[in-house]
Amino acid sequence: MMDEQKSVPDEPPPVLRTWPRVYIFVLIYLACVIVAFYFLTRRLAP
Amino acid sequence: MTALDWTVLFAWIALLVGYGLYRGRGSTTVNQFMLAGKTMPWYAMGLSIMATQATAITFISTTAQGYVDGMRFVQFYFGLPIAMVILCATAVPIFHRAKVYTAYEYLEKRFDPKTRGLVTAIFLISRGLQSGVALAAPAICFSVILGWPFHLILAIMGGLVILYTATGGIKAVTWADVPQMMVILAALIIALIAAVRLLPADVSFFDAVRIAGAAGKINIVTTKFHWNDRYNLWSGLIGGTFLFLAYFGTDQSQVQRYLTGRSIGQSRLSLLFNAMAKVPMQAFILFIGAIVFVFFLFEKPPLVFQPAEAKRIAQSDQYAPIAARYDLAFDQRRDAARQIKNASGKEARDAAIAKFRDAEDRLDAARTAATDLGKERDTNYIFLTFVTHYLPRGIVGLALGVIFTAAMSAISGEVNSLATVSVIDVYRRHFRAGATDRHYLIASRAATVFWGVYAVGFASFATGFGALIETMNQVGSLFYGTLAGVFGLAFFARRVGGAAAFTGVIVGQITIFAVAAFTHIAYLWYNAIGCVAVLSVALVISYARPRRS
Repeated sequence: MMDEQKSVPDEPPPVLRTWPRVYIFVLIYLACVIVAFYFLTRRLAP
Repeated sequence: MTALDWTVLFAWIALLVGYGLYRGRGSTTVNQFMLAGKTMPWYAMGLSIMATQATAITFISTTAQGYVDGMRFVQFYFGLPIAMVILCATAVPIFHRAKVYTAYEYLEKRFDPKTRGLVTAIFLISRGLQSGVALAAPAICFSVILGWPFHLILAIMGGLVILYTATGGIKAVTWADVPQMMVILAALIIALIAAVRLLPADVSFFDAVRIAGAAGKINIVTTKFHWNDRYNLWSGLIGGTFLFLAYFGTDQSQVQRYLTGRSIGQSRLSLLFNAMAKVPMQAFILFIGAIVFVFFLFEKPPLVFQPAEAKRIAQSDQYAPIAARYDLAFDQRRDAARQIKNASGKEARDAAIAKFRDAEDRLDAARTAATDLGKERDTNYIFLTFVTHYLPRGIVGLALGVIFTAAMSAISGEVNSLATVSVIDVYRRHFRAGATDRHYLIASRAATVFWGVYAVGFASFATGFGALIETMNQVGSLFYGTLAGVFGLAFFARRVGGAAAFTGVIVGQITIFAVAAFTHIAYLWYNAIGCVAVLSVALVISYARPRRS
């Protein structure tokens, strides 16, 4: 038989205490990146 | 290529393969071979996930897209962070707690054997096809640039991949990707610095950015919506989210990476690292393409970038007049670029841009006329031409070495995942249940060799891929929507059973093929359409049937 897989623990994130907060941070980061790219596009458009 | 370049090229390849073999030692159980014993830290998984996508095609084709089409391709990745967040909250803990080796194993636990079998077949067919493209595309370019026989390059790439993947399994694949990804980033930064330093003395970095913008290359965000437009904000956010949900949530080549994590948190961090780094990294690569475009505004590029085709076309009777038109258009475009740089007011700038566009159109027409004399599109040779002709000695060897090993890195991940699915979902499930761990380990190594040889064999028949990365993504998008749909059902629709899910997958796949065959809808939307079709059909069937007591 194949060796049994070990159970892996869940753990809190290293920053922001909870995973949902980390997810919100990532989504806000994405929004900021898109907004920055949008203004860069507008600024440099022909 | 100088002796120094050749030395650096071979040294880098040997170093990476050696490192993979070293880190892959001790893979003596199936758990070690397929999941690295669940010991991986987040940074190794994160860099490995990134390296699997940062293939040779990323260097060759994404930079070319930046050169030809501008930076708008980056919108393709806008859905990636959203998908990563959803997967961190759903797939990562579910797969870890289910103690599965493959994503498809989970489908049998949730639905039934036939749904697992169908989705396994979809994965093996689609990923098998992509592995051939991923190997063939860079091998064709390398055979042209290095002047080596195509089949020799295929054999070297395939042989090395089989060597360290069959020996060390996922540990070798993942750890080899760590230095690979770091050197990729270093090589990209060096390429950008070189492109900027090679600009004329009177053209600064900021001038180059302004000229690239005026030439329409800094077109990062397009808010205008159209179904047929491949890359805009909406197709990226919506279609891209579905694509990356399917890719990272259901494609074994990615699922297997984060299943190696030593904790659920480490696996989540590896995906979130990609969520934050991927969009800026792709923008950076496209930006390099845009700056290389500006460099070639002042340094005349070859009429045709593919060197073998260029030699052949030069023999044609029609070549001389086309070359004369090209030379004239290049001179006028260069002068217009300088006028854009020096323009002080809006009117002067607009006039310079109009001149630039006129010259650019005539230059493109001359290039099209020249490439039409040949057999192959040459966009994939733009960045390779820049690397081999303009980067400093030694760096040329490093850059080519990195592109070479990037191809190997992508293939090793694919071969490893194909072997894992073949053994767990096909061999153990249907042919030999209950054998010893050692038996399945040997079967896994044999399957790795089989898929490596298959990829080489398939690639040896594949020639003339156009824009490589688009080909890869288009093949993937034909299947990913269905996969995203069935896993969406598994995670979120408790009422849906095996029969409804199976029917949903069949209808979803037929829908995607029909949309691809009979409409002009851009391929990113296939993912959303396929997913919605699977979900709708399965949910309708489930709710139409009376519930069993």
